[in-house]
Amino acid sequence: MIRRKMLAAVGLAMAALLPLTACGSGDDTESGPVELTVAVWSLASTPEFQTLFDAFHKANPDITVKPVDILAADYPTKVTTMLAGGDTTDVITMKTLADYVRFSGRGQLQDLTASATAQAGKLAGLDAYNQGGKYFALPYRQDFWVLYYNKKLFDAAKQPYPENLTWDQYVELAKKLTSGSGETKVYGAYQHVWRSVVHAIAAAQTGGDQLGGDYKFLADQYRTALALQDAGATLDYGTAVTQKTGYASMFESGKAAMVPMGSWFIAKILADKKAGTTDVDWGIAPMPQRTGTTGVTTFGAPTAFAVNKKAKHSAAAQKFVEFASSLEGAKAITGIGVVPAFSSDEIRAQYFTLPGMPTDDLSKKAFAPDKVNPEMPVSDKTAKVDTILAEEHQLIMTKEKAIDDGIKEMETRVKNEVN
Amino acid sequence: MTTAASRPARGPLALLRRAALYTVLAALAAAILVPFGWMVSASLKRNNEVLTIPVRWIPKDLQWHNFADIWAKIPLGTYLGNTVLLSLAITFLQVLTGSFAAYGFAKVRFRGRDTLFLAYVATIAVPWQAYMIPQYILMQKAELTDTFWSLILLQAFGAFGVFLMRQYYLTIPDELCEAARVDGLSEYGIWARIVLPLSKPALASLALLTFVNTWNDYMGPFIYLTSNDLWTIQLGLRSFVGQFDADYAMIMTGSVLSVLPIAVIFLLGQRYFIQGIATSGMKG
Amino acid sequence: MAHPPTARSRRGLRTTLIGWSFILPNFLGFALLTLVPMLAAFVLSFMDWDSYNPPEWVGLKNLERLLDDESTKVALRNTALYALGHVPLTALAALALALLLNRRMAGVGFFRAAAFFPYVTSMVAVAVVWNMLFNPSFGPVNQFLHLLGVENPPGWTTSTDWAMPAVVLTSVWRDMGYYMVLFLAGLQAIPQEHYEAARVDGAGPWQRFRAVTLPGLRPVTFLVLILLTVQSFKVFDLIVVMTDGGPGRATLVLSQQIYRQGIIEGEFGYASAISLVLFLLVLVLTLIQFWFNNRGER
Repeated sequence: MIRRKMLAAVGLAMAALLPLTACGSGDDTESGPVELTVAVWSLASTPEFQTLFDAFHKANPDITVKPVDILAADYPTKVTTMLAGGDTTDVITMKTLADYVRFSGRGQLQDLTASATAQAGKLAGLDAYNQGGKYFALPYRQDFWVLYYNKKLFDAAKQPYPENLTWDQYVELAKKLTSGSGETKVYGAYQHVWRSVVHAIAAAQTGGDQLGGDYKFLADQYRTALALQDAGATLDYGTAVTQKTGYASMFESGKAAMVPMGSWFIAKILADKKAGTTDVDWGIAPMPQRTGTTGVTTFGAPTAFAVNKKAKHSAAAQKFVEFASSLEGAKAITGIGVVPAFSSDEIRAQYFTLPGMPTDDLSKKAFAPDKVNPEMPVSDKTAKVDTILAEEHQLIMTKEKAIDDGIKEMETRVKNEVN
Repeated sequence: MTTAASRPARGPLALLRRAALYTVLAALAAAILVPFGWMVSASLKRNNEVLTIPVRWIPKDLQWHNFADIWAKIPLGTYLGNTVLLSLAITFLQVLTGSFAAYGFAKVRFRGRDTLFLAYVATIAVPWQAYMIPQYILMQKAELTDTFWSLILLQAFGAFGVFLMRQYYLTIPDELCEAARVDGLSEYGIWARIVLPLSKPALASLALLTFVNTWNDYMGPFIYLTSNDLWTIQLGLRSFVGQFDADYAMIMTGSVLSVLPIAVIFLLGQRYFIQGIATSGMKG
Repeated sequence: MAHPPTARSRRGLRTTLIGWSFILPNFLGFALLTLVPMLAAFVLSFMDWDSYNPPEWVGLKNLERLLDDESTKVALRNTALYALGHVPLTALAALALALLLNRRMAGVGFFRAAAFFPYVTSMVAVAVVWNMLFNPSFGPVNQFLHLLGVENPPGWTTSTDWAMPAVVLTSVWRDMGYYMVLFLAGLQAIPQEHYEAARVDGAGPWQRFRAVTLPGLRPVTFLVLILLTVQSFKVFDLIVVMTDGGPGRATLVLSQQIYRQGIIEGEFGYASAISLVLFLLVLVLTLIQFWFNNRGER
């Protein structure tokens, strides 16, 4: 009796809650002034968004952009919740590829294949958004990894700047650049705690597949990382992860001579030098390579805009997404040190005219790597595999597990837990 | 042992004991406050000096201007105002409805009362991660998202206040209520005139804990408040966390500022925890 | 849960109505805004749902999956271990603080505030400082252990075996002030006369504590224990900031697993199934506590 009543009540509640009536998506034929809403993260500390909005408004005076500011740390949580509730924000920024896979897989984004094919070849990182021949987002930014180095520390140790390094040379160099102890200790290198610092670089340079289930290609890169740590030439992983060590602090306060990091760090150093919070004398170099290979291979990840399926202003939203990934959009964000997805010689040249940007040849070479492989392949398994690899990465780096045991565990867990 | 010290100390032995007590308490307080000390120290540093190895307890040069800068970087005044408004509204409603409902559970005997109470308490056990999205959809349907109403309605009617107040009402002897009934007071009258005045320490603790929890709540305001002019202080602090890095100096500066009102509230509320006030003269 | 036999059913109806009239203002808001979404979540544990498209009934599939999911089992075990350490230690520390600070003395307000401050200190500060204290190589905790002659002090938050004890210690430190407030309020309800009577009978401090304080605190202790149990099984924020479940899965807890399966992997049906299990588990524990409490009252 009671159970049946309960079920009926629950059914009623569910009926009210779940199957959302699909409210009609935007009116494409509207004219006149439009207020476009764009979901972005940490607007105040991410100046590229406002820069893009201003440039877009200048090119399309009848469209004003209203940012929907969401905190970066929990961006996917809020966007998932909003979209579940049938939110009508027009443009959604895709913070990671994993988010993109989920939102597009659920049918929450509009098809942008036509715009994507029109831009093909010019947009770095576009391939990553290919979902069975269809595209639901266009990248506007493509970051890739380089080696940041502190010229003053190299000069003091009388070492040449890091050109054409192999990983073994990188470790040796880091040892030579390490000096002091306690509070005045300077590390030859700082390897940040993200698993990409080991996994993505190994995958990019060996051709290994992070979703493949065979992780032996990681072994060499782990040996490099642990050799640095054992020699005391980098801050140990355990301390770095528990103290939430900032790579920016390590580099900008001269506590690390070399830091492999994404190209987004350029804009931050430029801004901090301008604000006077650091006086680091810096340059960028290509990422170290495996012994016996030619050319510079690194990894990178794009960031994209997409149009919400339930957008209020679909046409204007599409216009914005196209603008952001076009030459004009690229020029606008290049002006503040962000690396755009749209690549051309003109943009590259513009980049090195930025005030404060190092203009030596090594830096220019680092800015034009021969190959940028994706940081993490995209599929519906990405999130699961990512969790497993990140957990086992911690165990290897804190020496709870030997390299080979850790790799074996990754293989077993991916096989058993990801179907 | 709890009452021994409530009498004035007399003699050299008592004086010595008092001194020992203060020493122990001072040492304990200092140890407990270490992380708070770090927070204050970090608030006076440049951002790239906050998370250094090894820890630097005293900043190289004190960045007092952090406390001025933060007002220009985020609309802290607006955020503070919103937080005060939300915390007061939610605390008021929680204390009012909670203490009212608790009387039903503690002093009125009726069928199904204890089962209902158990159901109430059990719901505290469901983690928010599980029902967050259904709840949001409900609020979206009611068109209350991105308003203060959503948060006030969600947090004002929790089971926590009911549970807390009921437990304290249980310590009030039933004979008091019985006597009042004989005197012709209605149940509502007993609640308002007898039970409520007797449970001042409990009301103070419920108000204090609700206020602090609302003040420090992050996920609720994050999910329900989208417009920047509705944001609370916790959202403002997290806005210093970017995609790849965070401005920890500003976060700590803001945290120090946001703790100050709580300290005042606590010092006001804790005055009700003085033995003897509640029951003195009531029993006889 | 016995009911006194009512003399007349009309009077029973009247008291029922009066009882409900007290409860209703809170219950209406609570039922509509919290209970309904909760029930929806429970129904969802028998469905596949991606948060957007209509859910699909899959029966017991999610619960079956839970039985083979290694990570969920690890999270369940870790959560239980956390609760096992956190509940008794926090309750004892909070009670000790409340007894120590329940007296008229100059500056007691300051000391109470100090005990409560960990609860309002920024979580990031808590994580950074405690991790620093626990650091295996330069942390004061291990330096102290060295002084005591411990050869191989634990690696605390960087070790799979010791990360959980480190998290438990930190959480006890953080939460004890919160529950101290509840105990302090509870101590005010104990009539002075009871202490006087015990003193006249020649009871020492320990006997007065056993005979007067503890029985007087019974309802509050019950409240504290239930709240602590529930909060332990739902622990999330502190773990996320302090270890994020690591190293490996050493401190992965159920709430994190629910969050990952739901928000991160988009399997809301499965996430709901885990929360249903969590709920049932806590319900059983709560019922046991209720039963003990009722037996004690009699």
